[in-house]
Amino acid sequence: MKVLQDFSNIFKRYDIDNEVTDGARQVSKDAVLQEIAKYVVEGDDEGIGDVVKKALETKPPLDIINDALVAGMSEVSRLWEEGAYFLPQVILSSDAMSVGIALCEEAMGKSMDRKAPVVTHTAEGDIHDIGQVIVNALLTANGFEVIDLGADVPVDKVVAACKQHKPVMVTGTALMTTTMTAFPKIAHQLKAAGLAIPFVCGGGAVCEEYVTGFELGVWGKEASQAPGMAEDALVGESWESMRSKWNG
Amino acid sequence: MNSKERVMAVLNHQKPDRMPCFGANSTVTYEQMEKVQAFWPEGHLKGETMAKQAMAAHTVIGFDAVRVPFCQTFESVALGCTYKPGANLEAGEGIPGIEHPPPHKLTDTPVFPDDFLSRGNIPELLKAVRILKKEVGGEVPIIAGIVGPFTIAGSLLGAVPILKATFKAPDKLRLFLDVGEKAGTALAKALIDAGADIICCEDMTASPELIAPKTYRDLELEYQKKQFDAISVPKILHICGNVDGIVEWMGETGADILSLEPKADARLARNKCGSNIILLGGVDTATTLFMKDAATVQAGCEESIADGIQILAPGCAVAPGTCTENLLAMVEVAKSH
Repeated sequence: MKVLQDFSNIFKRYDIDNEVTDGARQVSKDAVLQEIAKYVVEGDDEGIGDVVKKALETKPPLDIINDALVAGMSEVSRLWEEGAYFLPQVILSSDAMSVGIALCEEAMGKSMDRKAPVVTHTAEGDIHDIGQVIVNALLTANGFEVIDLGADVPVDKVVAACKQHKPVMVTGTALMTTTMTAFPKIAHQLKAAGLAIPFVCGGGAVCEEYVTGFELGVWGKEASQAPGMAEDALVGESWESMRSKWNG
Repeated sequence: MNSKERVMAVLNHQKPDRMPCFGANSTVTYEQMEKVQAFWPEGHLKGETMAKQAMAAHTVIGFDAVRVPFCQTFESVALGCTYKPGANLEAGEGIPGIEHPPPHKLTDTPVFPDDFLSRGNIPELLKAVRILKKEVGGEVPIIAGIVGPFTIAGSLLGAVPILKATFKAPDKLRLFLDVGEKAGTALAKALIDAGADIICCEDMTASPELIAPKTYRDLELEYQKKQFDAISVPKILHICGNVDGIVEWMGETGADILSLEPKADARLARNKCGSNIILLGGVDTATTLFMKDAATVQAGCEESIADGIQILAPGCAVAPGTCTENLLAMVEVAKSH
């Protein structure tokens, strides 16, 4: 008969899976790159600088970006989607990734090549750019250049940024029903300016019926959809075809 | 039974003549403002207008309670945050908030001021409660809102900094949670003195949609318990979003009523918190109450009641652009239960 020596697992609570901290998968077989990815996964924006600097002595900056920093952030994104990670962890990991990318770009002497710009903003009147923070992190991790307008952004500023940066996609986040009324105005002005850019809208108060009620609008159900949508926009899909793919 | 008897029956675990229906959060809408000829921004700033708008919940909609205030700025502004008036939107005046940048950094030592209750706009809020007590206090329960410790701390530090601190420096948050708790408790006591029958604590930032459940358990729960211990009247705890990951601890705070959004699992809440906790909820304020028609609202309410909701309510603060018909539809459902 097997005698149980350790009773600790009997009392482990399987109904609370929110204390997972060691569920992260290995993202690189290279020990140096894996070490950097670990700092991203653990959201250590203070410690990551030194390990990235050390790695830059032996590794090309672009490998560090793609195979450690971005790969680590993708793992964070997976943990978040699975419910093992919560928002604070995603924000901290995103910060750590940004510290690392900045050091690599410094070493390259130029910014890393990005796929295309995406303009992101949180609606006028909404001061919590929480959802947008995640969208920014995921788009950056997937190689897009994020033009981050921040929170509480007036309609005109969003339109002006689109005229200036010619993004493949623009996103709007709103937590409150009172602020999402800015979205159709933005869509209207973009259209009038001849910029038929897919305008992905999401956030607490925003629902599908509302967003598909105006031209250019594509409803973003989850922040995690943002990179996939941006890839579609990058290959030239119209807002109509994106809407029929992602909504309805 | 009048509204007060109906609500008190539920609180006393007795059978009411029918299910009560009211909002734990703000239920003011532009249409109600027109009806009672009291508007924003005055409704946020002046006690008389605030009381007039709150009464519309009972006189225009038929809700079984009246509720003030209509925003979450009172404690934070009294603690040093800058008041940000509601944006002037196409549909009408918006809801006030807190101006950024926030007044504190994590390394600061926040202080709870002695003259807290005379600061900012708190005197007008207390005046509104006194007016409500005089006007409808005999028949209609008065709900007065306070903001939870974690959410006040979030206003003092900013949302992103406080979220980061939950993992990087949770102990540094205790000073801010302590001040947040003191502020809400002091306000609650003054509101009760002014005539409030029920205190509703809104703690939006403590939602698992923002912080990890373990942060709620290890940090916020202690302050929420302390606060509710000190409040002598029945208490509603409202935390936005899907609270399944923390609902068992919400049940340990000492709250009499948990206010749940439909995203949260009411059956799970019952299961985790036992039969004594009263569950309040109904339909999603954005996707259903604001966007859909009365029939959809009624179907949503029936579903929530089937899940164990005992007081019918909008899931969160009502969007001011919501039509009266949809709110009336909720009351109709309550009348049939």
